[in-house]
Amino acid sequence: MIFSELYSAYYNAVAGILTKAAEPGVTEKELQNQVIKKAFSESILTILPTLKSGRWPLLKDNLSPVLSHAPAMPLTLLQKRWLKSLTDDPRIRLFNISFPDLEDVKPLFTCEDYKIYDQYSDGDPYEDEEYIKHFRLILSAIKTERPVKVTMTNRYGKEITVRFFPKRFEYSLKDDKFRVIATGCKFHQFNLGRIKTCEYYTGNGPWNETPEAAQIKDLTLTITNRRNAMERAMLHFAHFEKTAEKIDEMHYILRLKYYADDETELVIRILSFGPHIKVEEPESFINLIKERLILQKKCEIK
Amino acid sequence: MAYSELVKNFEKVRAYMREFYVYGFKNRKEYDAKSARTYDDERRRIESWLGDYMRFTQTPEGKRVFLSVNSRTTQNNPFYKAWKAKSFTDGDITLHFILFDILHSPEIMKTLSELVEEIDKYSEGDISFDESTIRKKLKEYTVEGIIEVHKQGRKVLYSRAADTDISALSDVIDFFSEAAPCGVIGSFLSDKQIEHQNIFSFKHHYITQAMDSDILAELFSAIAEKRYVTADYFGKHSNVSYTLKLVPLKIYISSQNGRQNLIAFHEKANRLNSYRLDYMSNIKQEEVCPGFEKFRQKLSKAESHMWGVNCRQRPNALEHVEFEIKIADNEEYIIRRLEREKRCGRIEKIDEHRYLFIADVYDTAEMTPWIRTFISRITKLNFSNRTIENRFKEDILEMYRIYGLDGGDTL
Repeated sequence: MIFSELYSAYYNAVAGILTKAAEPGVTEKELQNQVIKKAFSESILTILPTLKSGRWPLLKDNLSPVLSHAPAMPLTLLQKRWLKSLTDDPRIRLFNISFPDLEDVKPLFTCEDYKIYDQYSDGDPYEDEEYIKHFRLILSAIKTERPVKVTMTNRYGKEITVRFFPKRFEYSLKDDKFRVIATGCKFHQFNLGRIKTCEYYTGNGPWNETPEAAQIKDLTLTITNRRNAMERAMLHFAHFEKTAEKIDEMHYILRLKYYADDETELVIRILSFGPHIKVEEPESFINLIKERLILQKKCEIK
Repeated sequence: MAYSELVKNFEKVRAYMREFYVYGFKNRKEYDAKSARTYDDERRRIESWLGDYMRFTQTPEGKRVFLSVNSRTTQNNPFYKAWKAKSFTDGDITLHFILFDILHSPEIMKTLSELVEEIDKYSEGDISFDESTIRKKLKEYTVEGIIEVHKQGRKVLYSRAADTDISALSDVIDFFSEAAPCGVIGSFLSDKQIEHQNIFSFKHHYITQAMDSDILAELFSAIAEKRYVTADYFGKHSNVSYTLKLVPLKIYISSQNGRQNLIAFHEKANRLNSYRLDYMSNIKQEEVCPGFEKFRQKLSKAESHMWGVNCRQRPNALEHVEFEIKIADNEEYIIRRLEREKRCGRIEKIDEHRYLFIADVYDTAEMTPWIRTFISRITKLNFSNRTIENRFKEDILEMYRIYGLDGGDTL
């Protein structure tokens, strides 16, 4: 269904080459660039030589295309069905776009067909008009590189006003929240859902503040493979930059890099594995685990 | 056969990519490939597609190859590239471009014999296509929805399908390619877009699901048509697959480990069950299931007691779970955590500093990782499944031991 040559990097690269080849005075290097852009690292050894050899007789000897028109393929039914499925997703309202006419197309899936069963329940309000307005304004500000001024309630319940250059959105499926990644102020990111008002900033700055650089830390864990812990841990921590090493049939070492901002979250994620994961390094992280265990011991669980 | 970057069958690649990315601790000898060459070819292919993410280390046992991706800084799922490596014949690609050059606009309609004649003119004897090859390709493309068939009296005419303008959808496609199921299809659409700035990145982003995209699309398609499916399934602890016939009802996706499960009704066993998509292969859609709505209702009823994916209703099956936590002054955020993270059950306030969580679930064991995240404040447990309760307590004692806290309590 999905694994089809119609979507292949090779077809895309050949389409790119044939389009480019129709331009007067095009060089072989420019055609080769299409392969570099659209296909894989070794494709350079295959695609253009095969076209030139006539095995795919789509280029003439002078490297002009045998085709009379720029190659283009309509959307497949699968692509249309996937697009149609998006119209059922509440997050689609964030985008100020008119969807192509897909009236006769059945969606590939609807919200009834799947469930993100461990997603947190206090996700962003995608139906809220003010929220949508803020999203759209910030999206436009990112694209036009304009600064914005926002008011929001900070974690201590105090209202604050901040101006910054929004750079991009960061979305978390687990939190079901968007964050705005910023420069030009001391904060690196803002929860979009916390913003109360948002407008373009028309003043002149100054812009002498920069967010603190994200600190990346190392963590070494030992996994004891009981109750399928090895597989669970490898999947759970798969989204980090990591390396794994097998010590013996029961024990594995996992080394990963994490952002210091996420330390508390990582502590509780490691606790969730119970005794099957032990933190080996650094000492500071071991102490974070120990602190919680000492407090737990005092609870004298019944 | 000479090595090629492209592959005919995705299954083998799927297995290797998972090994390299999820585990990544095996050396060459540990792969149970038919031959060393098979391993070398797969490794070389994956390196060709994902070279930027491929890492190597030398160990006494040999060279280890693994994939390492920080998905927070990677805006496009790199594994989608593997889905763009399907092999084809010289005839396939030649015919494809010539066919769409002849049918370059939806208004152009041609009969098969007209197409045969015009295609011949293009290829000038370099490569020839007989009528049956062209008919087969047209049929294939009709199923894909890119060619349309029209009947005029006894004449059958072919045209290209109308174009769909997606030029305004760049942001939508960038976002949903990563945030919606079967996102690889969005990536195919993205390949059709002109270059633009991608303004999205993702946190807690599990990219392994990409490898099961075909399975997921087939299952969604079967669910939409309320059809049975048959699938080959590798059991949890087995290397042997068996064939299952199921009524697919819903896909359960985890945002905390990236696993995807099918919740299906197994008619022979007369029960709901869950099946991991990464253990499935060779999905086939079968006949329409007349009882589909009834089974979906059954699932809907079960969902209020499912913590994870276990939906197996045993007789007197519900297990009662209670645990109490304490909070200090100004720690109301812990209660907000309970509220937003609970998937079923309720919270009762005992007094200013003590709260009780109560739920009835099919499987207490699925809840224990979450309950452990409250370690430091758990004061009481009451699980009707005493085995799990005892194991939970033993695990905490074991944690004291491995961190050297089974004696004094100093850091």
